Amino acid sequence: MQITVEKKGETARLVLNGRFDFSSHREFRNACDEALQTPEIKVIEADFSRVDYLDSSALGMLLLLREKAQNTNLKVSLTNCTGLVQQVLDVANFQRLFTIS
Amino acid sequence: MDKPLNILVVDDTEPNLVLISTFITRLGHTTILARNGQEAVDSYRESSPDMVLMDVMMPVMDGYQATAEIRKLAGNKWVPVIFLSAKAQDSDLVRGLQVGGDDYLTKPINLPILQAKIKAMQRIAEMQREITEKAEQLERYHAENEREQNLSKHLLERIIRAHKPNDPMVEQLVLPATRFSGDIIATEFTPNNILHVILADSAGHGLSAALNVLPVVEVFYSMTEKGYSLPTIVRELNNKIKQLMPTERFVAATLAAIDFSERTIEIWNGGMPTAYFVDEKGKIIREWRAAQPPMGIMSNADFLSKTDVFQWSEPGRLFLYSDGLVEAENEAGERFGSERLLQALKAECDQGQFWFLIAAANQFMGLDSATDDISLAAIHCPMAPIGEDIAQPEQPSAKPVEPSESRLAVKLSPLELKSFDVLPWLINWLQQLNFSQRQCQEMFLILSELYNNSLDHGVLALNSSIKHQPDGFGLYLDMREERLVGLQQGSIEIELERVQENQVPCLKLRVTDSGMGFHADSILNVDISSSARLAGRGIVLVKSLCAEVSYPGSGNEVVALYRLK
Repeated sequence: MQITVEKKGETARLVLNGRFDFSSHREFRNACDEALQTPEIKVIEADFSRVDYLDSSALGMLLLLREKAQNTNLKVSLTNCTGLVQQVLDVANFQRLFTIS
Repeated sequence: MDKPLNILVVDDTEPNLVLISTFITRLGHTTILARNGQEAVDSYRESSPDMVLMDVMMPVMDGYQATAEIRKLAGNKWVPVIFLSAKAQDSDLVRGLQVGGDDYLTKPINLPILQAKIKAMQRIAEMQREITEKAEQLERYHAENEREQNLSKHLLERIIRAHKPNDPMVEQLVLPATRFSGDIIATEFTPNNILHVILADSAGHGLSAALNVLPVVEVFYSMTEKGYSLPTIVRELNNKIKQLMPTERFVAATLAAIDFSERTIEIWNGGMPTAYFVDEKGKIIREWRAAQPPMGIMSNADFLSKTDVFQWSEPGRLFLYSDGLVEAENEAGERFGSERLLQALKAECDQGQFWFLIAAANQFMGLDSATDDISLAAIHCPMAPIGEDIAQPEQPSAKPVEPSESRLAVKLSPLELKSFDVLPWLINWLQQLNFSQRQCQEMFLILSELYNNSLDHGVLALNSSIKHQPDGFGLYLDMREERLVGLQQGSIEIELERVQENQVPCLKLRVTDSGMGFHADSILNVDISSSARLAGRGIVLVKSLCAEVSYPGSGNEVVALYRLK
């Protein structure tokens, strides 16, 4: 999976691209760290518009991001979730943990 | 300088031999000399040199044959062999390489080139040695790992009770993607004969996922055996997983409690695919989508263990499965998907939908090549109650019941009535008193009937005639929940006492509630075989297990005498 980090004001947008599974572990962590370590960032937006698959380890990585963000009072939202991504997030009831759009 | 080598120099011409060995010695290496192929093979066998410089045309045995022999002797070890020959045709070079030579120099020997070749070979030999060493290490590691995995598998299978015989009401299949499964199906009856089922899917697969399901199975079995209710078990599971596992690990699960005599299914779905109740004609009667996130994510304060209860009025099956089934892809990259699943479930078929579904999935993608764990369970829900007579063979009682006079009394106010699972706690006390398992089961049954009656009809003042209406059962449950949530006053007292009645040791169970009471006579005289199965049936069951059941007060107090013999 390819991830680009777009920082604009207080928001960091992680644009994810491809299959989001265990093999994306390192890239995702690096992208998260980049966003988390920029002091002016208050909101992290994970953009799923170009993700065609995510598995349970991807859900685990999102939980890790959520935990780290909570420790530094950042907000995390998951955006452009459609199709299979939306389905997987629904079944896991992640709308109770994240703002999902 | 590189490590000095021990080099075998083979040549039948003395001047050549002297020239080359002098040169090599000057480079800092040592030499062994041989004057024909046979000598070369013998020397190799004796002193296993690091490298061989081999002439081709020699008496007794030529260089080609000697090289082949040396290769045989060396086995897995690689020894560089460089041919030094006056034969300069391409075909000679090819033959030399074919019999196992590594390089070919033509005479007269150019010494600087020989020096460079020796150095290059030395480098390759060093690399080769490292590779061999690593391969051996890897092989040892692999063997070690294999042993450890076998042990782990053995242990895991014991702990999750993989070889426990299936309950006859449950059809189940777990197909791990690797040696270890992160999916698990476990079933166990509570002491009052309610079947608890869990189908859990731990994030990831392989050994790490299998480790995650261990605490789940432990908690599930031990709490079910003690008679805890489904919401209590779910809450404890969430707590345990949250406590034990790192943030990114969680366990999705569906838990169900099936009461075959009341024909009810209580269900909790956290992060699993939709569960279905399908009747015998393949009609989907009820579905349960995941209502909660998987276990191990929410803190217990935010965690909702609320279950859904359904009563079946047509025989059917409850289907639970993991996402490995619907997400499995065939060779063309198509998913099996919930559409195909539903299609298979809807099919009316002789052998039952469970095997039909498995056959359909297998035909679609070949189940043995799945990349994720796949699990699937079907629980058969018939109309005729099963397990009414849990007539287990009477175990010879371990020891005669000693006369004793112990008494336990507990009073529960609204706070406890709303949230405290009191029955397992009481049973636990009884278990400490060394009664047999059958006795504990019967006492649990009696206690839970009496307690539930007091709570429902006494404290919550629910009338069981509601259940007779169409959809009455659901209505009844809704009212029960509503009243329990809003409960402000009321109490239940439970007293367990060991007594001697006519020289027979007995357990006296007394349950008193703050309710209005009722006319007990009408209920005590109901015939259990009569068709009225909804109300008063519990009490009749209690009567059949006890020496005596009476309502001494106005109906808000019940005393049951259970013989301990």
